[in-house]
Amino acid sequence: MGEKRERYQNRIEILQGTLDLLILQTLQWGPQHGYGISVAIRNRSGELLQVDTGSLYPALHRLEKQKWIKAEWRISENKQRAKFYQLTAAGKKQLTRERSKWSQLSDAIAGVLQPEE
Amino acid sequence: MSFWRRRRREADLEEEVRSHLEMAARESVERGETAKKAEQAARREFGNVELVKETARDARGWRWMEDIVEDARYGLRRMRKSPGFTAIAVLTLALGIGANTAIFSLVNGILLVSLPYPNPERLVSVTGTYPKGAFVAMREQMRTMDVGAYAEGHEFNLTGLEEPVRLTGTLVSAQLFSILGARPELGRTFYPGEDVPGQDNLVILSHALWAEKFGGNPSILGQSIELEGKSRQVVGVMPAEFRFPSPKTQVWLPLHNDPRNTILYWADDFMPVLGRLRPGSTMEQARTELRMFQSHVGALFPWPMPAAWNADASVVPLQNGMVADVRTRLLLLLGAVALVLMIACSNVANLTLSRAATREKEIGIRSALGAGRMRITRQLLTESVLQAILGGSLGLLFAKEGLALLKLVLPPDTPRLADVQMDWRVLAFTGGLAILTGLIFGFAPALHSSRAALTGALKSGSRGTTGRVSQRLRGSLAIAQVAFAMMLVIAAGLLIRSFWTLSHVDPGFRSEHVLSARVAPNQSFCGGAARCLTFYRNLLDQVRTSPAVAGTALVNTLPLGGRVAKRSLDVENYAPAAGQDLSPLFWLHVVTPDYFRVMGVPLLSGRTFVDADVSGEPVAIVTAATARRFWPNQNAVGKHIHLLDDKSWRTIVGVIADVRAYDLQRNIPSWMSGTAYVPYNSSATLEDRRMPSEMTIVIRSTSDEAQTTAMLREAVASLSHEVPVSEVKTMGAVVSDSVSTPRSTTILFAAFAGLALTLGIIGIYGVLSFLVSNRTQEIGIRMALGAQRRDVLRSVMGEGAKLSLAGIGLGMAGALALMRVLSGELYGVAATDPLTFCSVAILVAIVAMTACYVPARRAMKVDPMVALRYE
Repeated sequence: MGEKRERYQNRIEILQGTLDLLILQTLQWGPQHGYGISVAIRNRSGELLQVDTGSLYPALHRLEKQKWIKAEWRISENKQRAKFYQLTAAGKKQLTRERSKWSQLSDAIAGVLQPEE
Repeated sequence: MSFWRRRRREADLEEEVRSHLEMAARESVERGETAKKAEQAARREFGNVELVKETARDARGWRWMEDIVEDARYGLRRMRKSPGFTAIAVLTLALGIGANTAIFSLVNGILLVSLPYPNPERLVSVTGTYPKGAFVAMREQMRTMDVGAYAEGHEFNLTGLEEPVRLTGTLVSAQLFSILGARPELGRTFYPGEDVPGQDNLVILSHALWAEKFGGNPSILGQSIELEGKSRQVVGVMPAEFRFPSPKTQVWLPLHNDPRNTILYWADDFMPVLGRLRPGSTMEQARTELRMFQSHVGALFPWPMPAAWNADASVVPLQNGMVADVRTRLLLLLGAVALVLMIACSNVANLTLSRAATREKEIGIRSALGAGRMRITRQLLTESVLQAILGGSLGLLFAKEGLALLKLVLPPDTPRLADVQMDWRVLAFTGGLAILTGLIFGFAPALHSSRAALTGALKSGSRGTTGRVSQRLRGSLAIAQVAFAMMLVIAAGLLIRSFWTLSHVDPGFRSEHVLSARVAPNQSFCGGAARCLTFYRNLLDQVRTSPAVAGTALVNTLPLGGRVAKRSLDVENYAPAAGQDLSPLFWLHVVTPDYFRVMGVPLLSGRTFVDADVSGEPVAIVTAATARRFWPNQNAVGKHIHLLDDKSWRTIVGVIADVRAYDLQRNIPSWMSGTAYVPYNSSATLEDRRMPSEMTIVIRSTSDEAQTTAMLREAVASLSHEVPVSEVKTMGAVVSDSVSTPRSTTILFAAFAGLALTLGIIGIYGVLSFLVSNRTQEIGIRMALGAQRRDVLRSVMGEGAKLSLAGIGLGMAGALALMRVLSGELYGVAATDPLTFCSVAILVAIVAMTACYVPARRAMKVDPMVALRYE
């Protein structure tokens, strides 16, 4: 565990609870498999956010159980079988909710961090 | 979740992870790393594959399932490692669960399983009995239900086969079968209108009789058989599983509803009535209608009926009506076995606790490695439930044997007993009970051990603190066991005392060396009184010639046989109180002169009958209670009574001691006015104004039962080929059969109490043994410091006495509160009988102290040197 943490020290740990939002957001652009999701998050965050696979798959299965995403086995662009996740209607609503929650949170944090004048 | 779906998910996840790793590796290769290094990197990146799988599984919510399987596997391994402990625990539980299952099978089969007829919930029973006339009126008037009546326990001679047979039959109203919805195996049931004179020469056979006496030949349909010298056409055969109203019934005959015969129509058989609610009617409507009917039915009788007659008649579900008598007794038994199970539970909980002490280290390690308290509790509970399930499975086997035994012990006339079997409901009950049991007895130890784990069992020497908590818990469990056992033993004690009192009731006759048998010619054979009387006189003469026979006589109904003939009669100078019958109702016994001598009934004043009485002046004998009631402070001898419709008044020539005519419990019920005996001759008529033709012979003989029986059969056969001999029984057997119900209750309670006491004692013994072995070191120090062996003994015994006394006290208090439920089953003993309570307390105390003595002696023999080194 300790060793692993060292390897990630130059990255930002994903805030607890935001992984779901990131996954839902990523899936907004279309169906994607687990690996694709982790790559997408890494790339879009400028390599800053690294999704721990140990959290990614449990999160995916959790979201699937909530019926916010659904999964399907398909052939990937590299002619490989992979499990693709796709946003459901309920998932889209959830995404809206999570986004507004997030913007409230980040506004609030920004307010707190703003130097007083 | 099914196993297969779980398997698929697992494979699914496996493949998903693999595809991820491949994709990551491919990308690395594209970035220029070597394939092997890339794969390693990807794998490292992915982290612990197994961990991912586990958390993903957790997210799916079937982690608990895997845990249970895991725990069960672990539990089984542990059980295999300590076979002794496991065997004792499982056996104890099996006894408790088995006893419960067996009794529940009875409750299930008798009280719960619905009647084997279509739409049983529409079947009702009218509480109250009605003569034919009142029943016919009810049948015509009721709009809410169709009603049927039946009269059980009639006997018929079947003749025309090789030898005459006495059959037991039930008279039924024509619609009874269709009301029940019972279908025949062959032929048909009765049609409406077939229960009136001229239409009723029909009979339906039971499957058993058809198979046994008619070879199971279907050609019997339409043929006639000779019943009571009258030929009746066989119209149907009922299937073997049709056992209404009881398995004793061999033939069903239509009722003979003849309004012209006033006495038979309005007074002869008071019959139970059942019905089927018509579509759209409710039970409540039927009750209302019955109340209406009850308010005017009395006026239909040719004589005034007391207003109280059937005043509280109501309509109840047929099932309840049929089993009303046994319900309380069954529930009592269920309560008793539930107590036994509680004791078994505490016992096993105690065992588990003492083992928990030796497991403290193991549990400590598990908790140090990160097992949560919940997790440990759950694991220990799983083990307990596993034991209980094993116990339950074994208990099921016990129950199967036990049920067969129960069927032997219970009185054969217990309703629906023949239908009782172990069905899915019983299995479900046992399964549920086993799991519940496991949770109950496992809960305290599991909670306790997991707490112990938190206090750090890894530290050595922590034994003292947790040991004390455990000792207190174990003490409470032992107290509970003694208390429960105490209650059961008190219950058994009361029943045994009651039964002892009952079996020492003086029945009013001497049953030793007396054999009885029903010898019953057909009614038609006795059509002419003279022929009948001659037959019986010849029979008595013939039997008397046997050198072993000391005396023989005839009586119309045997004492304690559960039925007695009734007769209205006039009593000289009797002035009934307002509202009482002008002609009081008596029990009437028709006997031959020697009867009192053969039966050993004491004569109190006057004389018994002599041969001259049969043809001489009309005479009678009354019992002591009757004489006291009608002629208080006078001599009844010389007074007169008159059987209604008899030619002349009878002179009372003697007073005899009271005889328990109906059952052992009561001398004479309050609704009977008295008991009279008259000599057997043509004027000795019963309520139907006919001389009885069905007599029972009693023979006092020095030879054994089999010889006397053979002699009797030979004598009867030499006189007539049409007269069957049945119900051959010694008078001892008659007496003992009359108390078969209280006897069975007593036997069962005694057995359960014995079981409870044994388990309770094992409990006390276990607690003390554990205490001694736990305190060996302390005892050693005490002895090294100069304590005497006697002091050690006293200290351990004192500990045991404290537990036992607490248990005995609690048990007594519980019994005082609960024994009232038993009072219906007790005879001549109060439910709070102090003698029983005290002697049971002393008995339990002695047994408990004996159990304490063994570990106490062990403590006394502790060698200080060894003890101090002991760890």
